Amino acid sequence: MERYDVAIIGGGSAGLAALKQLSNLNKQAILIEAGKKAGSKNLSGGILYSKKPKHGKTYNVEDVYPEFLQDTPVERRITQYMLHATSRDKVFTMNLTAAHEYQANFGYSVLLNKLNGWFAKQASESAGRQGGGIVSGVHVRSLSWQEEKTVIETDELEPFEAKAVIAADGVNSEVAEMTGARAKFTPEQLYQGVKVIVKLPEGIIEERFGIGPDEGAAHLFAGDITLNHIGGGFLYTNLDTLSVGAVYHYDSLMERPSEPYTLVDALLKNPLVAEFIKDQVAVKEEIDKNMPKEEQLRTRFAVSKLIKTWNELRDSYHSRALRKKLIESGKYKSEDEIKARLDSVQNELATKYDTKFVTDYVELEYGAKLVPDGKRCAMKKPYYKNILFVGDAAGRGVFIGPRIEGLNVGIDDAVRAANAVARAIDRNNFSTQYMGESYSQSIEESLYTRDMKEIDKDYLKIFLDAARDVPKDIIGQRYGMVFRLMSSGTLRGLAVGFANILGYDKLLPLVESQDTYVQVPIEVAEKIGRQFQATYEPTIPTIAQRIARLKYDDDRVSHIKVLNPKSEFMKKMVTLCPTFCYSMEGGNVTLQHEACIECGTCAKETEWRHPRGEKGIIYQYG
Amino acid sequence: MATTTKDLNVAVIVKLEPDFSEGNVSYNADGTLNRAETKSILGPHSAIASNAAFYAKVKYGARVAVGTMGPPIAESALQQAQLLCDADELHLYSDRIFAGADTLATAEVLKAGISKVEGGKVDVVFSGHRASDGETGQTGPQTAWKLGYTFLGNVIDYNIDLESRLVRAKRLISLQGFYDIIEEVEAPLPVFISIDPSYNAFFNTVSQRLAFEKYQKEARSRAENYKQFLKVLNTQQLGIDPKLVGLPGSPTIVYKVERIPKAKASRKAEVIDGTNRDQIARVVTNMYEVLEGMVIK
Ligand SMILES: Cc1cc2nc3c(=O)[nH]c(=O)nc-3n(C[C@H](O)[C@H](O)[C@H](O)COP(=O)(O)OP(=O)(O)OC[C@H]3O[C@@H](n4cnc5c(N)ncnc54)[C@H](O)[C@@H]3O)c2cc1C
Ligand code: SF4
Repeated sequence: MERYDVAIIGGGSAGLAALKQLSNLNKQAILIEAGKKAGSKNLSGGILYSKKPKHGKTYNVEDVYPEFLQDTPVERRITQYMLHATSRDKVFTMNLTAAHEYQANFGYSVLLNKLNGWFAKQASESAGRQGGGIVSGVHVRSLSWQEEKTVIETDELEPFEAKAVIAADGVNSEVAEMTGARAKFTPEQLYQGVKVIVKLPEGIIEERFGIGPDEGAAHLFAGDITLNHIGGGFLYTNLDTLSVGAVYHYDSLMERPSEPYTLVDALLKNPLVAEFIKDQVAVKEEIDKNMPKEEQLRTRFAVSKLIKTWNELRDSYHSRALRKKLIESGKYKSEDEIKARLDSVQNELATKYDTKFVTDYVELEYGAKLVPDGKRCAMKKPYYKNILFVGDAAGRGVFIGPRIEGLNVGIDDAVRAANAVARAIDRNNFSTQYMGESYSQSIEESLYTRDMKEIDKDYLKIFLDAARDVPKDIIGQRYGMVFRLMSSGTLRGLAVGFANILGYDKLLPLVESQDTYVQVPIEVAEKIGRQFQATYEPTIPTIAQRIARLKYDDDRVSHIKVLNPKSEFMKKMVTLCPTFCYSMEGGNVTLQHEACIECGTCAKETEWRHPRGEKGIIYQYG
Repeated sequence: MATTTKDLNVAVIVKLEPDFSEGNVSYNADGTLNRAETKSILGPHSAIASNAAFYAKVKYGARVAVGTMGPPIAESALQQAQLLCDADELHLYSDRIFAGADTLATAEVLKAGISKVEGGKVDVVFSGHRASDGETGQTGPQTAWKLGYTFLGNVIDYNIDLESRLVRAKRLISLQGFYDIIEEVEAPLPVFISIDPSYNAFFNTVSQRLAFEKYQKEARSRAENYKQFLKVLNTQQLGIDPKLVGLPGSPTIVYKVERIPKAKASRKAEVIDGTNRDQIARVVTNMYEVLEGMVIK
């Protein structure tokens, strides 16, 4: 049997950081990832933060990858951070840029297929120098122990041994499940995130959001767009796309199930969001069926080709870099010439083929995934035997108000885990007392662990300051006392101190309530919001159209087994599965796994595995 | 970890061929190939042979040499093959007098070329099953014969024991009218392996997967600078008797290529619609008869 010092299971941003850090410390490690290529199975919102905490230390992305920011495929540095309370056509906006900048070096919008692909390249190069590397397209099936060593079995390769294991296999961690290191997360501990990628040319993004080429905007939403669920919506600007999504507390979804896509749709239909995402879209005219067959075919090809050219030219025209490239290549002499060509293609389409150019929006990818709420589910002792759990696998996500952080948390965890493993290798001691405990202690010192345990009064103040214009009577009814306490510096300290003594457990039901996420924002918007009208109605694709656009490597064998087709939980999956994999047949819930995007929503009461290596969903954006 | 040894030397012989894939191929009015208009690429069977050689690199750390006979543009086949198998050496056997060679004369050049690799110490030679523009499938066996190597045709899988220097191979053959029979053979090195189109390498240990990644990366950077690995050899450098190559060395010439008339269907078809038990019984009886005829007695 082959032997390795360290095996990392899962190549999301956490696992990859662990591999890179171990290689930075000159330790040999291998990483096993189920997806064909690292990044193809990961989904985020997402903003990747680098932090500078007032106390203690965090290990940031640039600590692990010194080349970060030189040539990393990040999207945009977020420079505006807005929270909108919505009610029908009314919107009240608060500027929360200070909250975004709080204890932060930077926050970049990112797309995980690209980003994790880049991380993987860096990590595998470093790991290669130590005789390790990334093995992708391989799914870990079981772990067992022979003496002190872990024997790892996969669906694809011969078993191998490792002295230490880092479990970075995400929120639906099979390693946690099969070792019994922790119970499966329950709906109270999770959020369900759903997101779509919207296409929008670079220049239009900059103009519409009032940002420069190196800037980006984040917009958050609460109020009626939540359809009465606890959670909210987000819209982040990427380079030439937008990430638009919704994150809702799973518990709240269980109470009153809503199809995940209707929650995104509610957001897309909000007049403010509709105006953000709108674009010019070419709509083909139906081809005259009375024409000879060949003529029909020729027309169809000609129109498709012209529309493609129009789209490409338009994207280039609206992109500083691409415009420059076109001119440098000698194809065009000037911007005006590109514009003239674009207009002529558009004209040809309109006059010759009756193509219509309408205002609508273009969706590129739909995706969903569970997100762990660290306040409720972070593992107290994130280890088991010689396994260290990091990132989502350890349930370590930071959820505070509009803040969703998992990427940076996973990276911080990964560095701490890698450091503990490196130390264990030096001492040849992989015991829980030595390796597990030292990791656990290190994690306790992390800013993120503190965020998962207590309220930060300075962070809270930013919200209170931002909410200055909100009529006191709306807030007063519910939070009057809290607000008064918080408004004064000394009392705030006292109040937070008292709240923290009470503990997050007791406070959470108060803070994370329908009032906070739904009622108050609706009232605020109604009372002091601006009126907002959309100039068009977005044509939202059906769920079938969204699934059809996704890329899969189909597995004949289902990776999920329904255990009790009559259970109340499973019946809810008919509504809560984001890709409609469940249906009712004669009182039984049945599964068709082919469209599964591995979100994990149904994991609690099923036998749930990730698909075999290379199989299943392949996100192009993520 | 993978057994790394300098002890295994493999060679691949490849061919630049017209790209028959849709949109790339072009025909003259009389139905013959328009060579000028058709792009040339590494032949699909040569690509499979290159993959098989890459397997030896990943699994046994073999040194790989790729050779082809052809005009200077044939070096693009070598470059494409290098991208697939991370070749350490590329050999182009090129000489005006090679023109018009039939399979036997080609085999003479290839033999001479292979003898130049690693001082003639090549353990395994890989070739494609056949070329897609020549279709004879003879060059391989003839080269093997000239080299005095054991010839293993239609190989779909192979493993080498470096200690005992034995190769174990699976061959896809037809036997007594049955297709898709897998025959397992063992032979001492050196061998000449012609790879079956259905060959598919599978790497089933972590170290092989890591080696695969490593060599693939190396292959990409090597293929970008393929000229550094390229040697062009003519008749003299190969030390060949000019009488044995090119037109003079070819006992056969292609006189004429004809289209094969479409054969008449030889299958008997009978429509049974399954509406009643008798009909279904007929199907079962018919199947029974057919199956019985297939049993090797
Ligand atoms: C809608 C949404 C919005 C979010 N927004 C933000 C944000 O703005 N900022 C932020 O920081 N975070 C955000 N997050 C959270 C963040 O995306 C996650 O915390 C992060 O991606 C988790 O990384 P990970 O490496 O821990 O796990 P994952 O990215 O889930 O990686 C796990 C990997 O393990 C592999 N794997 C699993 N099981 C096996 C197995 N048995 N064998 C082999 N491989 C296996 C999987 O294929 C996968 O690649 C958001 C999440 C969602 C869903
Ligand atoms: S089948 Fe389960 S894991 Fe797959 S998409 Fe549906 S809810 Fe998510």
